[in-house]
Amino acid sequence: MKRFKVFGSLVKDSFDTITHGSKKYHLWMALLTFVMLAGMYCYSIQLEHGLSVTGMTDRVSWGLYISNFTFLVGVAAAAVMLVMPTYVLKDIDFKQAVLIGEGIAVAALIMCLAFVIADMGGPSVLWHMIPGIGVFNFPNSMLTWDVLVLNGYLFLNITIPFYILFRHYQGKEAKRSVYIPGAILSVFWAVAIHLVTAFLYQGLQARPFWNNALLGPRFLASAFAAGPALIILVLAIIRNFTEFKIQDKTIKKIAMVVTVAAQINLIMLISELFKEFYAPTHHSESAYYLFFGLDGKDALLPWIWTAIPLNVLATVLLTFHKLRNNFKVLFFCCFILFVAIWIEKGFGLIVPGFIPGPYGKIAEYMPTGIEIGVTLGIWALGAFVFTILAKTAIGIELGKLKYKKKS
Amino acid sequence: MKNNINIMNKIVCFSFFLLAFVSCKHHENEYHSVTDKIEAESKDYHGTSMSSEAYLSEIKTIEITEGEHTFLIPERKSQIKSYACTECHSKPLAQMKSKDLKKAHWDIKMDHANANTMNCVTCHNPDNMDDLKSLTGHAIDFNTSYNLCNQCHTKQFEDWKGGAHGKRIGGWAPPRASMTCVNCHDPHKPHFESRWPARFNTQKEKERK
Amino acid sequence: MSNNSKKWFSLNLGRKEKTSSGSCSCGKTSGGCGGHSNAHQMTDEAFNEAAINASIGEERTKDGFEQVFDVKMDRRSAFKKLTASLLIGAGAVSTSCSVISGDESKEKAQIDWEEQFKGNYKLMTDKEKEGTVDRLVRSYQLRTGKNISMSSKNAEEDVLFGYAFNISKCQGYMDCVNACVEENNQDRNSEMQYIRIHEMKDGKGFNFNEADDNYYHEVPAQGHFYMGTQCFHCDNPPCVEVCPVQATWREDDGLVVVDYDWCVGCRYCMAACPYDGRRFNWSKPEVPEAEINHNQHYLGNRMRKKGVMEKCTFCVQRSRAGKNPACVEACPTGARIFGNLLDPDSTIRWVLENKKVFRLKEDLGTEPKFWYFMD
Repeated sequence: MKRFKVFGSLVKDSFDTITHGSKKYHLWMALLTFVMLAGMYCYSIQLEHGLSVTGMTDRVSWGLYISNFTFLVGVAAAAVMLVMPTYVLKDIDFKQAVLIGEGIAVAALIMCLAFVIADMGGPSVLWHMIPGIGVFNFPNSMLTWDVLVLNGYLFLNITIPFYILFRHYQGKEAKRSVYIPGAILSVFWAVAIHLVTAFLYQGLQARPFWNNALLGPRFLASAFAAGPALIILVLAIIRNFTEFKIQDKTIKKIAMVVTVAAQINLIMLISELFKEFYAPTHHSESAYYLFFGLDGKDALLPWIWTAIPLNVLATVLLTFHKLRNNFKVLFFCCFILFVAIWIEKGFGLIVPGFIPGPYGKIAEYMPTGIEIGVTLGIWALGAFVFTILAKTAIGIELGKLKYKKKS
Repeated sequence: MKNNINIMNKIVCFSFFLLAFVSCKHHENEYHSVTDKIEAESKDYHGTSMSSEAYLSEIKTIEITEGEHTFLIPERKSQIKSYACTECHSKPLAQMKSKDLKKAHWDIKMDHANANTMNCVTCHNPDNMDDLKSLTGHAIDFNTSYNLCNQCHTKQFEDWKGGAHGKRIGGWAPPRASMTCVNCHDPHKPHFESRWPARFNTQKEKERK
Repeated sequence: MSNNSKKWFSLNLGRKEKTSSGSCSCGKTSGGCGGHSNAHQMTDEAFNEAAINASIGEERTKDGFEQVFDVKMDRRSAFKKLTASLLIGAGAVSTSCSVISGDESKEKAQIDWEEQFKGNYKLMTDKEKEGTVDRLVRSYQLRTGKNISMSSKNAEEDVLFGYAFNISKCQGYMDCVNACVEENNQDRNSEMQYIRIHEMKDGKGFNFNEADDNYYHEVPAQGHFYMGTQCFHCDNPPCVEVCPVQATWREDDGLVVVDYDWCVGCRYCMAACPYDGRRFNWSKPEVPEAEINHNQHYLGNRMRKKGVMEKCTFCVQRSRAGKNPACVEACPTGARIFGNLLDPDSTIRWVLENKKVFRLKEDLGTEPKFWYFMD
């Protein structure tokens, strides 16, 4: 009973915290709310008219939504790069960052689920997918695996930080024996979510561009570069705007993670390019379309030729200790790396899988305004959720939010 | 602490085993390919309750047996407008060609092989217009005119008997009824005409560009 | 279930028949029983039954498979009832219980409700299949005043459908496409077509990259041949494997079908199909009333809704009645051959055994039941 009381007070306190803040904070939240509302409006149009308001067709049947979904699974998985050192290897340098990382994971997962729902043709019958009530095609369909691992990961990433924060809120230390098993599990789980998401595409013999053994590992490498890069940027912002202390040491360690992952990612990219272009087969056509265009159709060229140089530039800059330790360069690198991987793992991965089609048909895909509106809305939702989570967590960690027994 | 991690490890290992087990696809079919399957499963084929007889009731058919194949083809004579031919062809052909008689069949232009190979009397019997005749002069009934065609088109005939050539009438279910040669090919002009397709072949107009 | 379906207010949306309780005195009159008190009564009942179902429903003594299957169904109906009771206040039932609206709209609401929460067709018993088909027919009648016939005929024993396509015969006339669109009530707005005819250049082999599936000129064009593609009804269909909700499956007679009402519209099957065999309803499909084919099958050409997958079913409404699919019947050249692969005397078997047949992308292991051959 007491726990419920504490919980109630926590909810009340966190509500107080998130509704109070500086002018900038309110402006930020108002902006996010506005974008979310605009996104919801776009989604209502999509609900009414069907997915025909998007740029997707029978030829390219997945687009911006699934691209963002794929990318965000990676971002979510990246939280593990902070969880493992902190909880398992007991590296205290990561301690402040880890809660932020898990907050990002939660926000990313919520965005993932929102993108999947936005992509559904029949959101009103989504209950068909709930195991036990509907029919769950497990283990045959990789999508069911993905549903399981994503929701499981979301559960882990909510419960572990919640437990820790809940204890801290009461002024107690969190018991290691309670959260360590969860943390270990989440390490495996994080790898699983991204591998399973890769398998979603990798297992399709119909799409040679995806049906490639390197896809899974490359997903992981790019995720462990893009995710922590985002965390560095977020930490930098939090450092600037709150009293939450994050040491340079922490950021530098995360930067190391980003660097190694980006390097591995680059090696895999080279390996992939070699395979596609050294001895090109019929199956390399998607790659040709992506990098050079086919039959004069070249909508993806500007994207991919932005992504590749940014990717290479960021990786090269990060490789040099001197440059990496300069925070301005580091933040710049993290930003361009994030953008590059967003293009590469999103658009650059999903769309060419459908082009050329099974019978060589080249039909291009271009997202419509409504699609972009919904996408922005979901990103705003993610930022909104993250801001709320982070603000509460920071409040508790700083000791501002505390359970008062007789309140 | 250590204990805990040990247990965790065990649980993780176990769950991996479990996952590996359930995720192995259990192939129910013991066949290597669909053709093997067809062969095996059709060994004890007992026929189905389905029949396309109902769809054949509107046309008159005759049963023919050619080689191992027995099937129905549309009856022909009742479909020819002015059968029997002898109703008009009462006189020898030479007399009928005279100018004072009313012209008939004037619209027929032979476009079947070349003039060296074929003319009217290659198939029609000038002495008995109610029948056709084979190259060696044997009478062939109009209903079984395929016997005329198969003198030259032996390959097509084989395909037709088996069912690879010639459209089915009615349904897929037995009894089999197939179009005979003249149902699709005008014997005087047997090739298919070129024409405009029945519609655009695209999903969306914008894709045409 | 069917005899009870007229009672619009009954919330027994599940499989089991629930006799209307005595406490609701006006329960059987049509329309007189309005008011919210009644609605609440029904709520409690529904809730109780759901709870009972959920708790003891599983303990009934049945053997093996039956038990497993029934448990599933019970849970599903329990869920439906729970949802029903939760949503009662939200107006779904208030429409169906209000005195103002007519009998028909209540019945319509009841049908919509039951259709929304029905199970997967694949797992239904024959009786349930009939039930949903009856509802759909009635619903169509209520909406348009016209009658349709809809079949729920199951696969026949000893039948495995197969298809052969003669690429030397096809002239690209496209009559098959027209027939298919008309037979299967495909969306006219988006010009959905299951069949694609590819115009290929002689001497280039099966080079789909250089093939044109957009031609519109006199056919057959000089120096070209034509090759039709559609769903190949693979024996090992990748689309079925990937569907997260088993909304698409392979029937015993080899047809790969979709339950349009169970599909959630994720389009994973579309990505998994190597043959471009699947189509999605990007917007609400529309067919002019006069052009609707009223001879329908639940798994075949019945009207679809927006946001679901559909595909060629070898015209299940025709093929399960012994007829040829519409494309076969419409083909003026006899290039299309359809039949029972298990019948050793069938024409399709003769083609497979005597002609040089091949299939597309055989290396993918999908085992299509659609063969190509030449004269």
